Amino acid sequence: MDLAALKTQLKNFVQSMFEEGVLDNQFSQIQALQDSTNPNFVEEVITLFCNDAEKIINEINRNLGYQNVDFSNLDSYVHQLKGSSSSIGANRLKLACANLRQASDERNKEG
Amino acid sequence: MALTLPSGDQSSDQDNWDNGRLARKRQLLTEIVLRNRLTALVVDADTTCRVLEQLLLRSYGVQTQGVDNGRDAVTLIASGVKFNLIIIDMILPILNGLEKATRQIRDMGVHCKMLGVTACSGESERQAFLAAGVDVFIEKPLDPEHLVPILRELDG
Repeated sequence: MDLAALKTQLKNFVQSMFEEGVLDNQFSQIQALQDSTNPNFVEEVITLFCNDAEKIINEINRNLGYQNVDFSNLDSYVHQLKGSSSSIGANRLKLACANLRQASDERNKEG
Repeated sequence: MALTLPSGDQSSDQDNWDNGRLARKRQLLTEIVLRNRLTALVVDADTTCRVLEQLLLRSYGVQTQGVDNGRDAVTLIASGVKFNLIIIDMILPILNGLEKATRQIRDMGVHCKMLGVTACSGESERQAFLAAGVDVFIEKPLDPEHLVPILRELDG
């Protein structure tokens, strides 16, 4: 596959993420920040986000695995993930965090 | 003046992508030109947030520094470094953003604009952060819509 075709495929894939609400306007802002002085910025920040998010999600899963869930500990992880996902435009993830926080507030382990 | 557009399917696809991006950039980054050299400090423990906030500020020509905890922020300011704007996350390690760091910075007699940010906002968080000494409180993400008016105001 040649470069132009790959670029088109990427563009379409990103577009579908916008349409599905996986990404929101904040991601567009980040794309707009990439220029010749920061040519790989979007890729770098996504990598950064994913690495940190993976660690946090592992911690969340670990916490949820306990018999007695420490909800306030869980809450601080979810809070952090919500912050970074909203900053990067990961809309669905941000919404998921909000839902998780609500369930956590209600001490609802099943939720 | 006549503008010649490139022809050919492959190159025009790429140009559309680049032109679209450029147009979007102009649209999204509400362009302002600052007259003065502004400086800002970003205090955020989350690397993704801190990097994005700093880059957003830099894109407007604001000289920014970043620290990832409350104590470093207080130490930096105590050393005499002056900032026009401090953007501080509510929850910080070592010295909490809300209670400790913000209050300490204000207690040092620093009157610059402080913008409190947080991932989750509720009325009680907002009141508490404002009471601690921030001037403005916004829910993450930090975006041009909130930032540009503040920069304009600081620029005079």
